Amino acid sequence: MVLVGNPNVGKSVLFGNLTSRYVTVSNYPGTTVEVARARAVLAGTDCDVIDTPGLNDLTPRSDDGRVTRDLLERHADATIVQVADAKNLRRALLLTLQLADLGRPMVLVLNMLDELEERGGQIDRTRLSELFGIPVVGTIANRGIGMADVVAAVGGARIPQRSAIAHDVDEDEYDRNRSRFAYVNGLLAETYSIEQPARSSWRVRLGFWAMHPIRGLGLLAIVLLGSFWFVGLFGAGTLVDALEVGVFQQRVHPLLIRATDAVLPFPHTHATAAVRYQLDVPLIPGRDVALHTVERVVDVTAYHLEGTTPVRGLQSIRRFLHDFLVGEFGALTMALTYALAIVLPIVTTFFIVFSVLEDTGYFPRMAIMVNRIFRVMGLNGKAVLPMLLGLGCDTMATMATRVLETRKERVVTTMLLALAVPCSAQLGVLLAMMAILAPVAALFWLGLVVGVIVLVGWLTARLFDGDTSDFILEIPPMRRPQLSNVIVKTMGRLNWYLREVIPIFVVGTAILFVLDRLNVLQRIAQLGAPVVTGWLGLPVEMANAFLIGFLRRDFGAVYILDAATGPVPTLSAHQILVAMVTITLFMPCIANFLMIAKEHGQKTAWRMAAFIFPFAFFVGGLVNQVGTWLGI
Amino acid sequence: MARYLTCPFCGFEFERGDTLCAHGCPIGAVCHLIRCPTCGYEFPETPTVVSWLRRLFTPARIPVPAVACRTVAQLRDGERARVVDLISARTSRRNALAVFGLIPGAEITLIQRRPSFVLRVGETELALDSEIAREILVEGSYSEVTVAPEDGSATNNTSSSAPDHARAP
Repeated sequence: MVLVGNPNVGKSVLFGNLTSRYVTVSNYPGTTVEVARARAVLAGTDCDVIDTPGLNDLTPRSDDGRVTRDLLERHADATIVQVADAKNLRRALLLTLQLADLGRPMVLVLNMLDELEERGGQIDRTRLSELFGIPVVGTIANRGIGMADVVAAVGGARIPQRSAIAHDVDEDEYDRNRSRFAYVNGLLAETYSIEQPARSSWRVRLGFWAMHPIRGLGLLAIVLLGSFWFVGLFGAGTLVDALEVGVFQQRVHPLLIRATDAVLPFPHTHATAAVRYQLDVPLIPGRDVALHTVERVVDVTAYHLEGTTPVRGLQSIRRFLHDFLVGEFGALTMALTYALAIVLPIVTTFFIVFSVLEDTGYFPRMAIMVNRIFRVMGLNGKAVLPMLLGLGCDTMATMATRVLETRKERVVTTMLLALAVPCSAQLGVLLAMMAILAPVAALFWLGLVVGVIVLVGWLTARLFDGDTSDFILEIPPMRRPQLSNVIVKTMGRLNWYLREVIPIFVVGTAILFVLDRLNVLQRIAQLGAPVVTGWLGLPVEMANAFLIGFLRRDFGAVYILDAATGPVPTLSAHQILVAMVTITLFMPCIANFLMIAKEHGQKTAWRMAAFIFPFAFFVGGLVNQVGTWLGI
Repeated sequence: MARYLTCPFCGFEFERGDTLCAHGCPIGAVCHLIRCPTCGYEFPETPTVVSWLRRLFTPARIPVPAVACRTVAQLRDGERARVVDLISARTSRRNALAVFGLIPGAEITLIQRRPSFVLRVGETELALDSEIAREILVEGSYSEVTVAPEDGSATNNTSSSAPDHARAP
């Protein structure tokens, strides 16, 4: 069976209920961009269930309908289950008429009956069933009500009566849909009634607030500040501290070092250091409430050899592996710690915020607010969703650009994501760096990034041939986010992210380790010296940071952070800012590059890389030169 | 291609082949007049060149709907109206609106104008660019006629005065 229906009517929820396989569900039209399929046991028989992206129009010439139309042709024996938003029956029935023209057995599911009742609406399901000659069932999918009816109805699916609308040959899809609507109005008069409530609920009023020109900005500021507190201060501060210092440095590292020493013994002694961990809760940037402090003396990765005889033979192999696992660039001490202790909490908090906002229905209202600014960049408000998702993970966001309609929009958005939208992992590291700098520097950084986005977006839009699609966006009702959905969705995204991230971290660290051993790092540092020391005015070791930044820019940022805050800080405030700007404008990671190549072709991906890296160095250098000239 | 002729007396439109002149009139080729098949008025045929020049130099006549119309862009916040026509040149754009139920005859409520146009049609709230809002012709203003009669007089005037009125500070 194939689930078909208008956008945002709950196809994916129904799919999840029928198959117990989770697909992303959100309060945003166009969430499902890929066809999902799973097996389900319905009424004792095995059955394939296919979830499709929402569509408003099945006519052959509409872009909307093409995917679904092809899919239906490929599965010629499948039952069509049309899912409809009960309170918006008019639009659903347009689709029903279009589906009826296919002459295939189908079932009509009226979902969201609770919202229909809330608005005082009623549907005569028996009459509707008689008119079309197909089973009509009512459900409240997100509460799991009516699922048994759906299963029963699928067994009794019938071929609908063809509508008695004659179509002229030379009519276009617009005229046909008009005549279909005229027919639907007749049906509605018989079966459907709804009355607008006299007083709108607080959710409806909040929805209007969110897109009001002035109050909307206020709400936007509140939402942004709230998100910043939760992700930037609580996630990147409290949680990262707890995991990185409290768990990893104090407990896990010494354990790993001792375990490795036991397995791979050679005469050496690890240095010890006092590591101090403080549990605190952030109030505002720079103001924390300290709750609890633990100080422990533990082993660290640095060590010195015992005795005077050089390490030889088997012992040198042991030492090599030992260094690979728990050395300075160790796969366990560096990569795993970074992935689990620094990235994970930030990404988790970000995805929680994102899922909550997504489910409330706030994002389309945000699209209304930013539509005009995005117009400058050859985009429209709809691009706000991938751009915001990019703050979580740019690779994921590149995939999400599919919701945009024209190729130009997809390319511009992908470009901006790759260039200037820092992903949450990098954002966390950058926030840590900003903590060292003055607030003015942080504001400068923010202004620069926004400026680069607008400027490059404008340039790309000018240079890239193509159209911006019309801004016609359906605004879903504000809904209360469901805790279970938020949790499941966050887990799903995290799972995706970690599978993507941890291998790259480990591989990246391994490459760095090997390069370090072969003394290639120093040679590359020498090669990059003119750019790094001359143009950017940074210490020569920073070439390593940029080298690893090619792999993952946030990883490169960690190096800069290390150099800025390590035992021997080697960077001045000015240098930190320059390095920060440069690494921000790098391409996010190798996975992002591969995703761009997958979505837009190798050529586009290489072209973007060819622009982004020199551009990053150019802007970074510009900051350095201007800063030096001004004497900052 | 058959040329359409318009009777200057009664305004009836017909083809030359429909007239008596083309069907066995004894005067035939000598006569340069055309007789309207309905009212019988006889008039000289306009030379092709003249009608061609006339078409070239008269400004293109856009079919104006008979009712007093405004576009959605001229509505005020919270105003209700009925869609008369979608005048986008591109079918795809018209259809993109139509699938949301925004078709001639549909009743709409304008929710807001800034930062983007938002209107409600049925149970659907739609956000639109101003460019598209200017391509939706609407008529009538239920809330104004019933609630504020002094404003209603403006909307009942001709189509040209309503936008002027709306633009005045």
